[in-house]
Amino acid sequence: MIFGWMNQFAQSKRSQIIFFAAYVVLTSLGLYFIQDSVIAFLLLLFSILILYYLKLSNKAKWIMGFLILAILVPLSASHGSAYQSYMEVGTLVGIYAAMSLGLNIVVGFAGLLDLGFIAFFAVGAYTYGIFASAQASKFMPFGHYPLPGDTFWLFIIAGALIASIFGILLGIPVLRVRGDYLAIVTLGFGEIIRIVLNNMDHPINITNGSMGISSITPPDFFGISIGNSSQFYYIVLAIFMVVMYIVTKLEDSKLGRAWKAVRDNEIAAQAMGIPLVRTKLAAFAIGASFSGMMGTVFAAKQMFVDATSFTYLESTMILVMVILGGMGSVPGVILGAAVVTILNTQVLTEISNWLNQLSTTGAIAIPDALSPAKMQRLIFGILLIVFALYRSQGLIPHKNKKVNAEELKKAASEGSSSPEAGSPSPETALVNESRTTGGVDL
Amino acid sequence: MLQQIIQILPQVIIDGLTLGFVYAVVAIGYTMVYGILELINFAHGDVFMTGSFIGAAVLFFMMSVGFLSSLPSLIVFIIVMAITAIVTGLMGVGIERVAYRPLRKRNAPKLIALITSIGISFVLEDVVRFFAELKTGNYIITSPPLFNQKMTLDIHSVMPVFNKITFQSSFILVFIVTIIMLIALDIFVNRTKWGMAMRAVAQDRETASLMSINVNRVISITFFVGSALGGATGVLFMIQYGTIDPYIGFILGIKAFTAAVLGGIGNIRGAMLGGILLGLLEMFAAANLSTITHGAMGAEYKDVFAFIILILVLIFKPEGLFGKAVVEKV
Amino acid sequence: MNILEVRNLTKQFGGLTATSNINMDVKKNSITAVIGPNGAGKTTFFNMITAVYKPTSGDILLNGKSLVGLKPHQVSKFGITRTFQNIRLFHDLTVLDNVLVGMHQRLKSHWAGTLLRLPKTRHEEKEAKVAAYKILQYVGLADYVNENAANLAYGAQRRLEIARAIAAKPRVLLLDEPAAGMNPKETKKLTDLIHDMRTRLDVTIILIEHDMKLVMEISDFIYVLDHGELIASGIPEQIRNNKRVIEAYLGKGAVSNAQ
Repeated sequence: MIFGWMNQFAQSKRSQIIFFAAYVVLTSLGLYFIQDSVIAFLLLLFSILILYYLKLSNKAKWIMGFLILAILVPLSASHGSAYQSYMEVGTLVGIYAAMSLGLNIVVGFAGLLDLGFIAFFAVGAYTYGIFASAQASKFMPFGHYPLPGDTFWLFIIAGALIASIFGILLGIPVLRVRGDYLAIVTLGFGEIIRIVLNNMDHPINITNGSMGISSITPPDFFGISIGNSSQFYYIVLAIFMVVMYIVTKLEDSKLGRAWKAVRDNEIAAQAMGIPLVRTKLAAFAIGASFSGMMGTVFAAKQMFVDATSFTYLESTMILVMVILGGMGSVPGVILGAAVVTILNTQVLTEISNWLNQLSTTGAIAIPDALSPAKMQRLIFGILLIVFALYRSQGLIPHKNKKVNAEELKKAASEGSSSPEAGSPSPETALVNESRTTGGVDL
Repeated sequence: MLQQIIQILPQVIIDGLTLGFVYAVVAIGYTMVYGILELINFAHGDVFMTGSFIGAAVLFFMMSVGFLSSLPSLIVFIIVMAITAIVTGLMGVGIERVAYRPLRKRNAPKLIALITSIGISFVLEDVVRFFAELKTGNYIITSPPLFNQKMTLDIHSVMPVFNKITFQSSFILVFIVTIIMLIALDIFVNRTKWGMAMRAVAQDRETASLMSINVNRVISITFFVGSALGGATGVLFMIQYGTIDPYIGFILGIKAFTAAVLGGIGNIRGAMLGGILLGLLEMFAAANLSTITHGAMGAEYKDVFAFIILILVLIFKPEGLFGKAVVEKV
Repeated sequence: MNILEVRNLTKQFGGLTATSNINMDVKKNSITAVIGPNGAGKTTFFNMITAVYKPTSGDILLNGKSLVGLKPHQVSKFGITRTFQNIRLFHDLTVLDNVLVGMHQRLKSHWAGTLLRLPKTRHEEKEAKVAAYKILQYVGLADYVNENAANLAYGAQRRLEIARAIAAKPRVLLLDEPAAGMNPKETKKLTDLIHDMRTRLDVTIILIEHDMKLVMEISDFIYVLDHGELIASGIPEQIRNNKRVIEAYLGKGAVSNAQ
């Protein structure tokens, strides 16, 4: 009986909407009234995932998703002490989701394992960091530094461009390397960039070396200085929406098909006229540009950058997001990014704090070494192993976009010069001059 | 400038050889696994690291029960090496069983196996950190003193262009032990039944299995030998360099992989030569980069230097210096 | 008129000669078969035409223009596409997308056009999908448009490879053992398809095939390779009775028995 009821629910659009609305209202109210409840906050975020599975048109989902994220979440969280920390989590999820979508183009669509992806994030961060602080005056022969905060908006674009140029520059040599060697070469490049950034304080001081760059100018929006997480949240949300748009549009385009063709079979892809290097470079460049944009935001938000934020561990973390969510699956990767970020910033620290409390009250003694906040590597490692072994398609497996076969059939028969319906008439599709149809039975 | 470089050259060679031998043995682990499974076993660097910690643990234990003072150091050393090699060898077999064999069975893409190996490497790093921190309160461990007498070789008096060389007595140990391991491995691979089976599987797994070779067992043996060697080298590393932490395996692993590629991946003798070559190059760079670039770049760029070698070799000579090119079958 | 001319084509792998001094003249709009025992160098020959391998020496001319030195994707632009002996579909793409990838170099749209949603780009995509659907109707796979290529039956996969190849509107179509693994009924359908493609699509077809019945029935001209060398060429009747060919296939001494 329950099964039948569930089935009915799966079919009925109206009951789904009612359920969803009820869920959103309840969780928002929950968050509004119980401000310190992380659970209410997470449940409200979870509504986006429910939305994804509803039987609604894509447009409706986009609009509702946007409304929830842009209005409902900030509003219901806004009047408590934890407001900024919630928005901080939202901002981080947005940053990492955009980056995972970038890595997903490289790994999920084009099938190239990049283990140094964080380097592009670093490039974006340092680009803004250097010029929006006094650092640039140490080596630039002209100009006045730090640049004012309203240049931040230009730097988002500059970050994307410079990161994609780096993507291409690294890609040109790297893509000559075959298959699995690519992983180790990208890893090498990631480390090279980190070490170079960490040491470029001599002979010319460009990055201030291991000291990092501090007092970076916050962004300026028509005279309002942006310094709060709740403000950065909107910047990140906007960029994330742009990234989403680019990814979903490209996935079903000529370029997107070319990426997947290269992933599935390089030799056949080439034989079909796909230029291998250019296609892979496009994946590198576009993926890198997302990271570059978010790097700029990251530098502005932290007001400080140094090379320790861009290690191999960070690269792997983004890879974990992609693998966990599902390689090639856009909703999956976003979910993966959200889960890992929340795990990392909320769950692990919450548990650690809780355990600490228990230890101090003497209830149980948990050695400091076992503190969950320190166990990132273990958790990432286990996630990678378990998902690779048992669910390599991830939490939300990738699905190919289906076309409406009936519509195509109709269009095909309309455009056909052949008199008898249903009989195949490929010549219009294949050659320009039409010939008589021989009654072929295929 | 040249004079300066020549002066310290003997010291550079000694240090480079020490490091090079470590790379060589670890590189063998990569090259053997790649030769057979065409898999970059990312976890291998961390098997090496785990070996160094197991070695340290055994050593500390023996110290606490007083063996270290009652037994000759050499015997202690041999016991530590043997225990570590067996444990890490079995660990390698276990890793293959748990993480790679299921994927091989269902013919999963290579990408997936690479990802599992990254996962294993992370798990090893954190488990080792956990135990080290639990026992000592710090994950950076300083090993008990063993073979750390300072020695000086005064070649300056014979050939005045060179400076004196100083080294620890452990250097001689590293030198002798790695050479013994390399020779033993070479004999094992080229002269024994299992070595022959290993080479057969590397050439053509299917045909080998038709020739009634137990492929899975050969793969297990490969992992055992490679990991045992890696773990034992971890012990040598610990004794030679004194301090270890759970993250030494990562960079050293990549460098050892570089060495394996340099020598032509799948080629065991090539990996030995590649390791020694890389060790020498790296030490040369570390000692002289600052002199050559007039202070613009110092020893901190030695890792960059090693990675650039890796990238250049992979791009321009992916078959390595001693390997053969393979043509993909269409 | 010859559309494809092959001059003294030689390929060596290390010390091993895979093909040596092959000469061929393929007439426009003909069906030409390349046959020979296993390891005769047939696929190597195809790989050289499609630039997967670079010839050690010799030349390949399409309408008088040399193809040697081009990249594989450029050869496809010149109007040569192929299928593969060991099926190489894009297995995680849908059947329709496989065909759309075949159209890749004919589609003019640019990624910027996609992002800006230019009417031209959207129109082209829509047209391409309809065209791809028609090609699938033509090879009899229209019912599977949304299926993943990996889920198709073996014979259907071979037909999808052909669909993907003709989507590029080739002037020369290379078929590498298209009938391998097919049952007689499927082979018959394939024979009809090849015949029909020649007349309707105005394409020159070169095929490698082991099914002698199919080869003899379909080909205008046959080249026979053995140990990398061209040992015979001619119309089917000539090949059927050629002593060297029978020897190559059945071994010496078989000739008298066969006659």
